[in-house]
Formats: sequence, C-alpha cells, structure tokens
Amino acid sequence: MCLNFSLNGSNHLLLSLTSMVHNASFKTDVCPVGARNCSRSCGSSGAVTGAGGGNSDVQWCFSQVKGAIDDDVAEADIISTVEFNHSGELLATGDKGGRVVIFQQEPESKNQPQCRGEYNVYSTFQSHEPEFDYLKSLEIEEKINKIRWLPQKNAAQFLLSTNDKTIKLWKISERDKRPEGYNLKEEDGRYRDLNTVTTLRVPVFKPMDLMVEASPRRVFSNAHTYHINSISVNSDCETYLSADDLRINLWNLEINDRSFNIVDIKPANMEELTEVITAAEFHPNQCNTFVYSSSKGTIRLCDMRASALCDKHAKQFEEPEDPNNRSFFSEIISSISDVKFSHSGRYMMTRDYLSVKIWDLNMESRPVETYQVHEYLRSKLCSLYENDCIFDKFECCWNGNDSVVMTGSYNNFFRMFDRGYRQDVTLEASRENSKPRSVLKPRKVSTGGKRKKDEISVDSLDFNKKILHTAWHPLDNIIAVATTNNLYIFQEKLN
Amino acid sequence: MECAFDAQNLISISLMKIQSSRTQRGGIKLHKNLLVTYVLRNARQFYVSKNLSQTQRTHQYEDVAAVRERQDYFELPGSLTELADDFYCNFTGVESDTWHCGAHQHNGQPAEVAHQDASACAMLSPSDADLMVSEACWSCADKSPWELPIPNAQANQKTVLDLDTHVVTTVTNGYFHSDCCAPSKQLQGAQCYAKKRKVDTSYHIVDPEFYLPDFGPVPCKRMRTDDELHSDSDQLDSTNISNLISVLGSGGLSEFVSWQQTDLEQIFAAQTICLKHTLLTGSGWTRAIEAF
Repeated sequence: MCLNFSLNGSNHLLLSLTSMVHNASFKTDVCPVGARNCSRSCGSSGAVTGAGGGNSDVQWCFSQVKGAIDDDVAEADIISTVEFNHSGELLATGDKGGRVVIFQQEPESKNQPQCRGEYNVYSTFQSHEPEFDYLKSLEIEEKINKIRWLPQKNAAQFLLSTNDKTIKLWKISERDKRPEGYNLKEEDGRYRDLNTVTTLRVPVFKPMDLMVEASPRRVFSNAHTYHINSISVNSDCETYLSADDLRINLWNLEINDRSFNIVDIKPANMEELTEVITAAEFHPNQCNTFVYSSSKGTIRLCDMRASALCDKHAKQFEEPEDPNNRSFFSEIISSISDVKFSHSGRYMMTRDYLSVKIWDLNMESRPVETYQVHEYLRSKLCSLYENDCIFDKFECCWNGNDSVVMTGSYNNFFRMFDRGYRQDVTLEASRENSKPRSVLKPRKVSTGGKRKKDEISVDSLDFNKKILHTAWHPLDNIIAVATTNNLYIFQEKLN
Repeated sequence: MECAFDAQNLISISLMKIQSSRTQRGGIKLHKNLLVTYVLRNARQFYVSKNLSQTQRTHQYEDVAAVRERQDYFELPGSLTELADDFYCNFTGVESDTWHCGAHQHNGQPAEVAHQDASACAMLSPSDADLMVSEACWSCADKSPWELPIPNAQANQKTVLDLDTHVVTTVTNGYFHSDCCAPSKQLQGAQCYAKKRKVDTSYHIVDPEFYLPDFGPVPCKRMRTDDELHSDSDQLDSTNISNLISVLGSGGLSEFVSWQQTDLEQIFAAQTICLKHTLLTGSGWTRAIEAF
C-alpha cells in the first residue's frame, strides 16, 4: 500500500482498517481464572491450543544451553535481549558486542514425536558497531537494547534491532539455489573469452548448501537525543515506535529519513525533570493505542487518534505508594523496568524492582494482581544500591495464553506466576541442572532464621548472576532464559 | 529506619556514582542519575528533618512527608541561621573523627560526640550562633594567612570542594582560600593546592558562584581506593557533605552552604532538586546533559 505518510485523522482511519484485516485471527480473550469453560461474564472460551494449562500441570526440563562454558565472561558476550518470533520457530538474541544470533527450531522428528525440536544457530551477524559522536565527545555503545520481529509476510524474515541511538531493519533470507551455466562468465565470475563461446545455453538454478543472509534494509538514525530503551512494532505492520528517556517517535518501516514525535516529556527547564520514560509498547490489536511506563511507577495509555502529540494521556495507571514501605530507595524500586501487553490485549504487566503487577486496562486505580518476585531483598536495598544491583532492569513475559507470567531474579533464579491457580515457582538456570531432559527442581530462598535443607539463604545469593531477559514461545511451553552470557532453553516435560 | 550515619553514607555513595557516571562508556545515563538524585534528596531530607525534629519534637517522617507533598517544593522548618550554623559547624572542627563542634562545650556535652549529634549544633539558640562561629575556629586562629570563614558576615562567599583533592575551600569574591579547618592530614596538601588555585584563578574563576572543576577522563588518583576510603572514612564524613554540595552545584543542595543570606533564603524558594546541575560556568556534567 502506498501511503503518503502523515499523521492526520484520515490516515489513522486507514491504518485502523488495515489492522482489522491483519488481526482477523487475533487470539480470543482468555479467562483470567484459567477455567476451561468460563461461566462468568467474561465470555472467553478457554485456553488457546498449544499452550499448557495451569502451572500445576507443567514440569520444566532442561533442553539446551548456548554460549561459552567458562566462567570468565567476555563483556561482548553478555546477552542483552531475547525474543521469539511470531511463530516461535526463530529465537533471536542480541549481545553487548552488537551481535545478533538467531536460532531456528528443528522440525519435530518422527523418531521422537514427544520431543520438540532443538534450536540451532541459523544466522549470526554484526548488527551495530560502536560509534563516536564527535560533537558531544561521546561513545555510542553497540549493545543491542532490543530486538523485535516483524510478522512474516513472505519467505524472508525481518527484525528490528536497536542500540542506544540507531534502529536497523534486517532482512534474513535463505538461499539454497544458485544459477549456473552463464554464457559469458565462468563459474568463478571471470569473463570468458568470446572466441570460446560456440553455443548458447540457458542458465539453470542448481541446489546449493543453505546459506542464510542477513542484510540491513533500513537504518533509522538521528532521531533520538537520549538512549533508546524500547521499540515496538504496530499491529498495522507498517509503523513502529521507538522510545528514549524523554521522547517517543513513530516511524514508517519504509521511510527512514523521517519520524514523528508522538510523546515528549522533556520539561522546558531540565532542572524540573522528575521522571523519564522507561518502556513503551503498542497495543497488540489496536493500532492507535500504545502505553509507556515511567521511572515514577506510572503507566500512561495514549490514543494516537486524539492528537498528533500524545502528551495528554488517555489513561494513567498508578498505584498509590504504601507509606509503611517508604525508604530512601522508594523511587528507585518503584521505577518500572518493563511493560508488556498480554496477547489478548486486555491486560498489561509491569515489572518494578521487587514485583510484577498485572493491570486491567479498564482500571487505572490499581493493578488487579501483584506478585512479589523477591521481597526478601527489601531489607537489603542499601547494599544493593551500593553495588548498583538496584538499577538492574528486569524484563517480564507472558505465556501464549496469558495464564502464566515469568520474570528473572538473582542467583540465576527465575520465577513463574500462574495467574489462574495462584501458584508460583522459582527455578534455576545453571550448568549443574543441565542434563538433557532433567526436570528442574523448584528452588526456595529462606527468609526466616532457620534454613531448611535445599533452601538457600538470602546472603548466599550471587548478585552477579542475574536473569534480566526471558522469553516465552508464543504457542508452546518452551522458554528461553538468558543468564549473563548463556542462553538456556527449557521445555515442558512431555510424557 | 536508617540512622543519620547511613544518610551520610548514602550521600557520599550517591555522589561517587554521579561522578563515575560522567566517564562511563556510552554517555551519562539519564535514568540512573535521576534515581540517584532521588536518593540524595531523600537522604538529605532525612538528615535535615532528623536534626530539626530534635529541636521541634515533631515526627521526622511527618516532616519528610510534608516536604514531599508539596511537589518537591523544598521548604525547611527551622531558622535560616540554625541551618547555616548546622552545616557550617559540620564543616569546621574536623580534627577528630567526630562532627566536632567547638560549641559543644557550651551545652555541657563532651566534645567528642558521635557525628549523629551534630544535631546538637542545631539545638543552639540563634544567639549562640555567632559565639559558636567564632569558637569553632579557635584552633585555627593562629594560622594566618588563612582567613576564617564567617557566615553572614561577608557577601560573595561560598564554600567549595575540590573533588580531586577533597579540600574544602572558601571562595570570596572570586579568590580561593583554603578552609582553615580542612582535615589536618590534608592540610599540607591543601596548602599547596590552594596555592595552585590562586595562581590559576583564570582557569577556575569565571563567576563567584561555585562550580565543579571541569574534567575529562578522570585520572586514577582522584578516585580513592576502597582501602583509602576505609582509613579515611572518618575524615570523609565532613568532606562528604562537602562533596554533596560541590557535585550538585549551584542548584538546590549547594545553596545550603552559601553563606549569603539571600542564597539561604533561596533554598526555601528553591524548585525541584532533581538534576539541577546547571552550574553557571557549565561543568562537564551539565554540558553532557544540556548538549543533548
């Protein structure tokens, strides 16, 4: 579709129509209670096929681990983002060295129909290089902050990767045939002596070893003064947003020399700055709606149809602070590090330092569910501030049918919260539990005085081993969990 | 509930974080530094309100809450003079490991009180303030040519701290004088640094207002190692508050130590504290923000 891209009302209508076509198959709303046949008025029909039911059914086993074994971590290998594509067949990781590694799931083998396919390296490429801004005398890190996949439209795959300043659109395509039999050229490319050409032949495609090529199709640069923290592809598949500390820009995927600023919270006087944008995401179904979270613990939902500049939010989600928990670090721990819409689009999840909160988009006053990730750290905030751990930005993710949410913690622990069964579990990603198909044993942190056997005390936790990035396969119970420099893949135990 | 000592500790840690972020790869992280300034603000509010609550017998968190309610409008109960004296007191008499205040004898308390009891200074009635001032530097009275910093007595006087050397100096009308009560260990060093500064005033002085010395990559010697920190922790107590002032510049917190009467009044009319790093001459910190 050829759109003269401009942000006015009529084009928004056009975009809405486009999204309706695209989202004809959007997922049914899932009953938050997890009931198969919900008699309540929410009207949902039950779980989406493919994803498991409540957490009580699911046991997780180790599947694979990717990355270096030795404990000496090279800084460039530190994983900075993990993302499944929309089908779950591809899993992309970005690291601090600016590289993107894509894993592809092997098709299920007929020998072992129970075992879901393994993920093997599909493509590796250098997405971003370190740059130097001469005007400001600043080095721009090549670390990949976020990767987002575009929905697949043809044989090729597309993803957006971003560092602090520049977003790139990459095309990943396969080549398994090549033309042979040119008349004027030899196979190696040298031109033939024309005198030797006596007959003509038609070049034909011959099979070759599969080659996966990644090529940058667009580079979106010079639109962000501050550090980009989020990118999000719109459900219209034509636009995407990028957010830095103070501004959010809207791009068209085809046009890289122009972007529209849709949110600007920079105060006229920088001395009056009180909050920054920490994450932003488009609604999964409504192409006019997006949310952004702030360092003050608020989430603002904006409607792009209302005005070109979305400084006035349509909704603001905020929970009043508990005065009993007031401390020097209250502002830090209430800062939201990640915001994710549920697949249904009815809920959104936020992660702050100590908890995960689920919000109903229809209720702004408080979250509908709150889960404590590691409340035992509340008394340790002072030392966590000293060693900078309190600034760690944990991400969170939903499972395919929005019944379970997952987030990371320290000591290579990660936590899952089953919303329906009201259960939670702590698991560990470590090489010790890395026997193929070995079931992960739930872990427990002892908070009281007496430490039971198999429990680990708070003081023994290794705060250098943190799981910041996790991803859940959109359709299956397969999860990807990133420790500092390793990527663990766990699968549901199947009988 | 953290005690006053933790508040001081937090303040010094926060300042070091801000300082080290200036040389971090990738540029200053706005988000992290904003959060650090919140900690600074909270620690300072706690410290101040704790001191004042002992005089006013109000619950300290009420004070803090009241302050917060006003949308970061910074208002302090208590008299200007008391506040000035409190901090001035903390700057002087750093000969022992205490917030030694020469006027402690006046209260009948032992001279060597723990630093938490710096609040004792605030307990002095305003009329004693001047007395305290002149007593505070009694030990240095002989040390000419050092000038005694006297609050409210002169215009255009500011106390500054060199983050390189941790030397407290007083700027009067654009000239640096090393504070007579700088830590004795560093006195020699202070002397020579002060002299350096006097020679080099053209580099430093553009405005009588306090500013941070500009630096590019931070030389190793500026950052104290952990070992040094532990051994000097006592001396750092007073300089840490100085650090607080220096790094935050002419906005918000630094106005605490402005001995100009008008500036002290400005504290009460001050805007939000956060990220007011607009040092008038434009330090590297400010430039990094403003340049964006």
